[in-house]
Amino acid sequence: MNSNSPHTVKSYEEELKNLNNNIVKMGVLCEEALRKSIITLVTNNSEQAHEIINNDQEIDKYENLIEQQVVNLIALRQPLAIDLRETVTALKISSDLERIGDLAKNIAKRSLLISGNLSKNLVGILNALSENVQKQLKSVIDSYLERSSSIALNVWESDEKIDDLTNQCMQETINFLKEDQNNLKNGTHLLFVAKNLERMGDHTTNVAEQVYFLVKGEYLEGDRPKHSEIGK
Amino acid sequence: MKKINAKNVNVSYGSKQALFDINIDIEQNEVTALIGPSGCGKSTFLRCLNRMNDVIDICKVTGEIFINDFNILDKKCDVVRLREKIGMVFQKPNPFPKTIYENIAYGPTIHGMTQSKEEMDEVVELSLKKAALWNEVKDRLHEVGTGLSGGQQQRLCIARAISVSPEVILMDEPCSALDPIATAQIEELIDELKNEHTIIIVTHSMAQAARVSQNTGFFHLGNLIEFGSTDKIFKNPENQKTQDYITGRFG
Repeated sequence: MNSNSPHTVKSYEEELKNLNNNIVKMGVLCEEALRKSIITLVTNNSEQAHEIINNDQEIDKYENLIEQQVVNLIALRQPLAIDLRETVTALKISSDLERIGDLAKNIAKRSLLISGNLSKNLVGILNALSENVQKQLKSVIDSYLERSSSIALNVWESDEKIDDLTNQCMQETINFLKEDQNNLKNGTHLLFVAKNLERMGDHTTNVAEQVYFLVKGEYLEGDRPKHSEIGK
Repeated sequence: MKKINAKNVNVSYGSKQALFDINIDIEQNEVTALIGPSGCGKSTFLRCLNRMNDVIDICKVTGEIFINDFNILDKKCDVVRLREKIGMVFQKPNPFPKTIYENIAYGPTIHGMTQSKEEMDEVVELSLKKAALWNEVKDRLHEVGTGLSGGQQQRLCIARAISVSPEVILMDEPCSALDPIATAQIEELIDELKNEHTIIIVTHSMAQAARVSQNTGFFHLGNLIEFGSTDKIFKNPENQKTQDYITGRFG
């Protein structure tokens, strides 16, 4: 069902649009933080790491702003049907995006603690994993923008690729750890980086679930497709 | 359990058709809200349920409305008996210009429901208690009902309606003339009364429909556009028109 006709009360229409825009802006900031955090990690760029750490405040500000907007909409407009779903999902999506921002910040912080060059194999698999998460995050923001339940469903179903890549990345890191005792510090941080990326993927699928509910008015039921488990 | 079953109900006022093939099932001991813009036919439909439209000469009602499996649109239907079973509360409180006691006693008297003064006293007390008004008026039962506040008058009208133990209570915007406190009292009352009665309420307030009802029907231009559980209608309606109306996008 499309909701093309605008509200009779223009200011209400504006408030919902504004909420929508803030979610998209917040999503774009998260995409950027994620993309830069991995570049920072593999290039040892401490300047960029600090930039990511500082910019996380901007993401947090959006989360607060969205929360205030949602509370105001509920208190003053009592949204119903599609408007209610817009309002409630904005609150939940902003909370997942905030976590994604935090995890990117955490990768940036860890990049400051990693010293020396990483092996080609490790960099390759880390890049592959992060590119996948970035792709998923971009798709989910697109699904929100376009109100597309099919894109959201596709994101939800594709998370297992991230899980597979995370496992490969962890395995590669374990091999790296085994190689030399001096790799202990870097390797430990990299394990966390891989886990952070995997968590970002999970938050992205949470957002996909919200977009699906927003569009369809129904919850995605059942467990996400999963065929690999850690350690296998 | 189904209490009312309307089948292909059409209503016209002269050459103007007001309702088109309305089919609706009303559940017993539940509150059903009818919503829609002014002139959509919701009140016309409500008034079919106790044959109130009979008093309008040019009004023609066709179709069937079964209440307890009896078609009330049938010529054999005794309208006086019907209105004993189907009570009604209106937008503006309309107590008789008589005492509080007489307002309640009127229905049971004309329907010959009590044998003695004691019995009538009991009916009056019980009706006022059920309408959550007893404590406020028990010491002034013989003062005029019109001297009460708006909210109290409306509860008096509800007490009057329930004094004859109707099976169904029809409410046509019962809170539109009341302040929020009086509105909350009526809504609390509706919640209580549904245990013993089936309630159908016409309201312009979406929030009220959402608060008090279990099922909601949306009318537009004489058609029943959507009927379903209240939470479905307000969270995820199936029809675009329903969504446009409840979200304030009409026009």
